[in-house]
Amino acid sequence: MRIIVAGAGEVGSHLAKMLSQENHDIVVIDPNENLLKSIDSSLDILSVTGSATSIATLEEANVRKCDLFIAVAHLEDTNLTACILAKKLGVKKTIARIDNQEYLLPNNKEFFKSLGIDHLIYPEKIAAREVVGLLNQTGTSEFFDFSGGRLSLFVIRLDENAPVIDKTLVEAAGVRAELDFRAVAITRDEGTIIPGGQDKFMAGDMVYVISNRKGVSDLMKYSGKESFEIHNMIIVGGSRIGLRTAKDLEHQINVKLIEIDRDKGFRLAGLLDNTLVIHGDGRNINLLLEEGLKNMDAFVAVTGNSEANILSCMLAKRMGVRKTIAEIENLNYIEMAERMGIDAVINKKLITASRISRFTMSAEVSTIKCLTGTDAEVLEFVVKPGARATKSLIRDMEFPKDSIIGGVVRGDKAFIAKGDTQIEPNDHVVVFALPGAIGRIDDFFN
Amino acid sequence: MINYRIIVQILGILLILEGFFILLSAFVAWLYPEGGELPMVVSAGITTAAGTIAWLSTRNCKRDLGKREGYFIVSLGWLMFSLFGSLPFLLSGAIPSFTDAFFETISGFTTTGATILNDIEAMPHGLLFWRSLTQWLGGMGIIVLTLAILPLLGVGGMQLFIAEVPGVTYDKLHPRIKETAKRLWAIYIIFTVSEAILLALGGMEVFDAVCHSFTTMSTGGYSTKQASIAHWDSPFIQYVITMFMFLGGTNFTLSYFALHLRFGKIFRHEEFRFYCGVVLVFTLIITSGLYFTVPSGIEKSFREAVFQVISILTTTGYVTADYMTWLPFLTVLIFILMFFGGSAGSTGGGVKIVRILLLLKNSFLEIKRLLHPSAVIPVRYNQKPVSSQIMSNILAFAVLYLIIAVISVAVMSAIGYDLDTSFGAVAASLGNIGPGIGAVGPAFTYSHIPGIGKWFLCILMLIGRLELFTVLMLFSPGFYRK
Repeated sequence: MRIIVAGAGEVGSHLAKMLSQENHDIVVIDPNENLLKSIDSSLDILSVTGSATSIATLEEANVRKCDLFIAVAHLEDTNLTACILAKKLGVKKTIARIDNQEYLLPNNKEFFKSLGIDHLIYPEKIAAREVVGLLNQTGTSEFFDFSGGRLSLFVIRLDENAPVIDKTLVEAAGVRAELDFRAVAITRDEGTIIPGGQDKFMAGDMVYVISNRKGVSDLMKYSGKESFEIHNMIIVGGSRIGLRTAKDLEHQINVKLIEIDRDKGFRLAGLLDNTLVIHGDGRNINLLLEEGLKNMDAFVAVTGNSEANILSCMLAKRMGVRKTIAEIENLNYIEMAERMGIDAVINKKLITASRISRFTMSAEVSTIKCLTGTDAEVLEFVVKPGARATKSLIRDMEFPKDSIIGGVVRGDKAFIAKGDTQIEPNDHVVVFALPGAIGRIDDFFN
Repeated sequence: MINYRIIVQILGILLILEGFFILLSAFVAWLYPEGGELPMVVSAGITTAAGTIAWLSTRNCKRDLGKREGYFIVSLGWLMFSLFGSLPFLLSGAIPSFTDAFFETISGFTTTGATILNDIEAMPHGLLFWRSLTQWLGGMGIIVLTLAILPLLGVGGMQLFIAEVPGVTYDKLHPRIKETAKRLWAIYIIFTVSEAILLALGGMEVFDAVCHSFTTMSTGGYSTKQASIAHWDSPFIQYVITMFMFLGGTNFTLSYFALHLRFGKIFRHEEFRFYCGVVLVFTLIITSGLYFTVPSGIEKSFREAVFQVISILTTTGYVTADYMTWLPFLTVLIFILMFFGGSAGSTGGGVKIVRILLLLKNSFLEIKRLLHPSAVIPVRYNQKPVSSQIMSNILAFAVLYLIIAVISVAVMSAIGYDLDTSFGAVAASLGNIGPGIGAVGPAFTYSHIPGIGKWFLCILMLIGRLELFTVLMLFSPGFYRK
């Protein structure tokens, strides 16, 4: 697929990297030559210097032959204009990154479509939703529902004393036969592997598990990770993510929001009805203690500064806060932060990438989730009648090596995929895949 | 840390590919009565075996390929290609000395075209074909070829591409480097085939037509005749070759636009205009010079002038006239052309037209800058300002080119040659031209140069082909520092 990415900022360059690794032809447009130079020398892409809202630049990027146009520049107006121009010049599908809740209202969808903008993404809103989801599932650092919650993916970090350490997957499943789950991947120092039955669990592993609703809470207990209710929380940083999270949660729990900028704080106080907005620095321990840090159940740091977020989360952790979530935009810090004890990480780039890679697949994909801490993705496919996957049992399917089928949802029922599972048309199938395999699994469900 | 295993693996793949091309030449040898295919088949076997061993022994290497590995692979790749490429000459006994065989091969792959053969017609067809094929492969670049046809090199292809086609700025024809490489080779093949057809129509034997189109498009300059193109006294053949030499020295990106009928872009391209301007001015001066000194008529004067100008400017090195016998002024003009070279992104060598153009512009702007000390005066190229980083790279290139040339001239004169010959041999080797001036002029060969001198020129050819930095980098201590 030929894809143009307008904007070589953090999100744009991450998208370019991810999509070019998945064997798409990528053209990146940005007015800043230095930004382009750095990605041009390390990635197999074409770069075009110029404004994405200039017709000449778009022509130079060969916009007429392009299948997908993704505008992820910093300014919303640039993205909207670029998408409108690109669509009129012949692009098949356009996606714009926006900053405005109002645009997402359902009755505006047709309006934007008629303008030439097919999809809108608002990364901060999705990030806020993710924070809320994590706060509801306090036992894991990553949690994601498929098919309306019938299947869930979550991550368990194995501590030294976890009962499954040094057992193979087969043995671990045998200990508690009544638990229905499938460990689809393990991330450890060497990278992410798709485990076979004879691979062993080791201390420090991050295990990605797919299970159904009942399995989730049982498994959490079994692995020593109990969920707990959250009553009090602090959000540091009145960014868009912070604001949206507070707005979503303020009526169920007691939320305090700390913002360093007084004017911004004042504006936030006007927007939030039930949240206590505090003007101050989230790294100031006295301020945090004064605001009752020790009694908090959750601590969310979403300032624009990744380092500050990590540090304040660690501070909170030391003071006994059970659930800490940090926004970390530097991908290299994520693994380190998880190792240092931060419970969950939010990353706008991964969130945006998750949303967008769905549009590059030819099979029908209802959800994609890019995982933090590994470059793997989890995809939910809708199986078309006559697809290759329906022709044989999973065991005989010759599914690509770097991917695994985790679970199947058929109508109202969800079950965990085993070797002898037969996939049927219109099933929803949850697949875990490393980047190299993503292009190949497409065919199985189409 | 440098990933040596992937270097060995990719070199292995390159050798297997080379083995295939030697085998192709063996097939050509088999077609002719004088034969000589057996030593070539053996050479192909040795090359392929060495490649296979290198490839198999490093099959499970890590697939990460960075800048350092890229430069290593390209420099070593060209050396290995020349080393194994000399086997057919050695094993068949056509060129018994290893030094000579290596010189002839590297001169082929770097598209220099400097030969040590004093009786080319005595060579069997198979070897002549291989000799021309080395230039054809070297012209567009062996790495670019490998990128185009082997998916294996997907990892870090960009690094390899930059190391082999350094240039000033590079244009991609497609987002994927593999596709760009494919398109470049496609244009190259289209041109080669068209030229071969035209030459055959003009009365050349098919074999000669094919060999000459190989060495014209690559701006190499190996001929299958001792007298080079002067062997055919046909204006048609000479004009056809002149035209294709000109195309070979043109940026292939522009040729791609031309084939897509996008001519506007071509005529606005500053380098192309300058390239045409240089050809025009030098041809005019030399034509009139010849017309008034050699009584052979206006058409012949023009034909000889334009052929020699384009042949030397594009660093091809064919000859139809011995420019050493011209007026000294005209010979000096030819010598000046040796430092120009082809366009960026062409198969030509030398300093490259775009660098000369930007250096000139920068020098004239410097005067303006002295007059207006606080003015912001960037060098503009194709209507866009050139970053000071690129400008400093070009200046460094020019200085290094001069330093290398000066030191090399000293080395050649220490070996015992006069000033003319030393200058000529160095300019012709570093610029990948072929015939120089003095005792290495068009009427002579390089066979009389002693062994040490030949090895020295071999190094110059490789440094020149890979545009200095790629090779020189390997000799800088910082390259190996962790």
